[in-house]
Amino acid sequence: MNTSVTSIKLVLLGEAAVGKSSIVLRFVSNDFAENKEPTIGAAFLTQRVTINEHTVKFEIWDTAGQERFASLAPMYYRNAQAALVVYDVTKPQSFIKARHWVKELHEQASKDIIIALVGNKIDVLQDGGERKVAKEEGEKLAEEKGLLFFETSAKTGENVNNVFLGIGEKIPLKKAEEQNNANEGESNNQRVDLNAANNGTSANSACSC
Amino acid sequence: MLTHPYKRLGGAFSVKSPSVPNFHDRIYSDHSSSDSALVNENPRVNKHHAVEPSSLGQVSPSEHDGNLSVIDLYGDEVDSQRGEVEDEDDDYNYNEDQDGAHSEDLDLAFAEGNLQHVELDGVAAATSKSALSDGVENTHFDRYGFKKQNNHISEAEYDRWWLDYSQYCVRRKHKWQLLLEKSGLPVTDDSPSRFPSKSERLKRYVRKGIPAEWRGNAWWHFARGQEKLNKNKGVYSQLLQKMKQIKEQNPNERQVQDLDIIERDLNRTFPDNIHFQSASYNKEGPPIIKSLRRVLVAFSLYNPKIGYCQSMNFLAGLLLLFLDEERAFWMLVIITSRYLPGVHNINLEGVNIDQGVLMLCVKEYIPEVWSYIKPSIDHHQKNNKTFSPSNNKVLFNMQKNEFLYRLPPITLCTASWFMSCFVGVVPIETTLRIWDCLFYEESHFLFKVSLAVLKLSEHELSKIKPRNNSLNYSWGSNLNQKNGLMGQEDNDMEIFQVIQTFPKTLLNPNEIFEKIISKGDLI
Repeated sequence: MNTSVTSIKLVLLGEAAVGKSSIVLRFVSNDFAENKEPTIGAAFLTQRVTINEHTVKFEIWDTAGQERFASLAPMYYRNAQAALVVYDVTKPQSFIKARHWVKELHEQASKDIIIALVGNKIDVLQDGGERKVAKEEGEKLAEEKGLLFFETSAKTGENVNNVFLGIGEKIPLKKAEEQNNANEGESNNQRVDLNAANNGTSANSACSC
Repeated sequence: MLTHPYKRLGGAFSVKSPSVPNFHDRIYSDHSSSDSALVNENPRVNKHHAVEPSSLGQVSPSEHDGNLSVIDLYGDEVDSQRGEVEDEDDDYNYNEDQDGAHSEDLDLAFAEGNLQHVELDGVAAATSKSALSDGVENTHFDRYGFKKQNNHISEAEYDRWWLDYSQYCVRRKHKWQLLLEKSGLPVTDDSPSRFPSKSERLKRYVRKGIPAEWRGNAWWHFARGQEKLNKNKGVYSQLLQKMKQIKEQNPNERQVQDLDIIERDLNRTFPDNIHFQSASYNKEGPPIIKSLRRVLVAFSLYNPKIGYCQSMNFLAGLLLLFLDEERAFWMLVIITSRYLPGVHNINLEGVNIDQGVLMLCVKEYIPEVWSYIKPSIDHHQKNNKTFSPSNNKVLFNMQKNEFLYRLPPITLCTASWFMSCFVGVVPIETTLRIWDCLFYEESHFLFKVSLAVLKLSEHELSKIKPRNNSLNYSWGSNLNQKNGLMGQEDNDMEIFQVIQTFPKTLLNPNEIFEKIISKGDLI
């Protein structure tokens, strides 16, 4: 049994009102709020889960969905190891937006970022609502781009935990290797960082002269 | 989600807080007379106004304190000469509950439910009687219709606090009444629309809270709303006309981008407030939601540079609880142009400017907090705890540039404080006190409040395990350094969580305002 805790930085992206905050609320508090307020800027939440006898701490950036906040997104995903790209299965426009996010992540984020494509609000279909994005469409995009794929309902809780478990299962393997390397090279790492800091310092003194 | 007795009312406007006077579904199609109507309009005296919580209407006889004789109401100069220190008024004693001034005679009953004692007026009296009995039982909502309980404050905590704070409100209102009387503006209908000219004394009164029922008028007055409206007569109705045309031309109005997002956010505005809940009304939905739609759409047409920005739904929503639709619209225009220029623009260009200024202020005025939130880039500062801008200007300027280009992560949180003017950031009574001062003192007050909140969070911040300062980290730094940065980042995240959550616990507005006063008018 490995007692170490692996942190996974995860960012949620997607159009406004597709249910990003609701997915997080379901995962973190097992709760749901009808008409949840829009997120302004960003919210940060954490949740610990045990995956394969491994404790994983999810550090979740929940971002604002409106287009104009998108310029802030790089701050959140730049150091993220995982991303949920969320769309609403009843809103085709939100699926187009999801495609854009996947593209941006592949271009701008860490190369080894794990991305899960999430079609939310499937409870609406059970209540007689019309599906506007076929499951196959989501699956196809996921396959093409190498994404995990889930359809969820934050309202009923269906499949929400599986999204995070799916991500957690993909990451610890990598993580273990990385941690071995990191442990070996810890002093090295630190030295590099101190050097960087020192460089900064000397640059500072140069300036102030 | 939640059910409450109001549900039974089936859309009647029979139960209202006195501060929710303007839910009449008025369309400004005929504007010819609305200007004067608005000037003289008493927003509280309309047929929907129903309930007057005693907490706001009753005054203890012993409230007549002697300080009133010294009140100088007619000149800013004289008033400012007097100076705050010489003022014997107990105004500065923020912790009024310790001043012994309040009387045992105060009716405490309102604390058990703000609808317990009511005055009814006009048409509403008849309709609200049945509702009232519901209201008496129903203590889950505050005087504005917001749910008392949230993730951070229990209903019992709220009620305990309200027991004291409602008395404070009664005392303050009485002082306001006397102030206005002395100023030759006697309050006859509990809805004054004229206020004394600005003075240090008035500023203190505003800082200690404008009476809830007067807020709409007072905000309108202090923000010079009428001036704005007079310059733009008929504009709002034209915008509504335009809105109608767009709707006709695009039957599927969701194709218009702003309209789509506005539509998505309408029901996501104050979902915990009874006045915004569809369930309480018939199919047409709550009138305030319709007003909110019109205000936001009209605004997006009025100012295409901004259009609609999430957070404006909260600004407009709160305004609509205190002002009629047209005045709420112009207040939104004033907030987004005068107090927060550029902040809501499509490119959010104003956000970084404000946050840069805020970080400079934190560094200068509350260095003890800055030490937690600064990007750990400067070793000079670490080695020299007495560092201050005055003793090392060159270094200061350089460091200033450093963090202004790479704002600390915490600004992602504090930016939302500005965008929504603290709506949803702090509990509602605290928000309202902030708004009182925002309209009186203008935008720098947002910085003052932010500093006060950050200062108050210091204790929580100090509980976070000290971070490893030896690591060179800045937000968004090179990925290759990732492993080495984990400790630092974890720390930043914990700090972010504290700053994100802590303000929601600030139930008592006076806690913040004491801090603002004790810091003096530094900024």
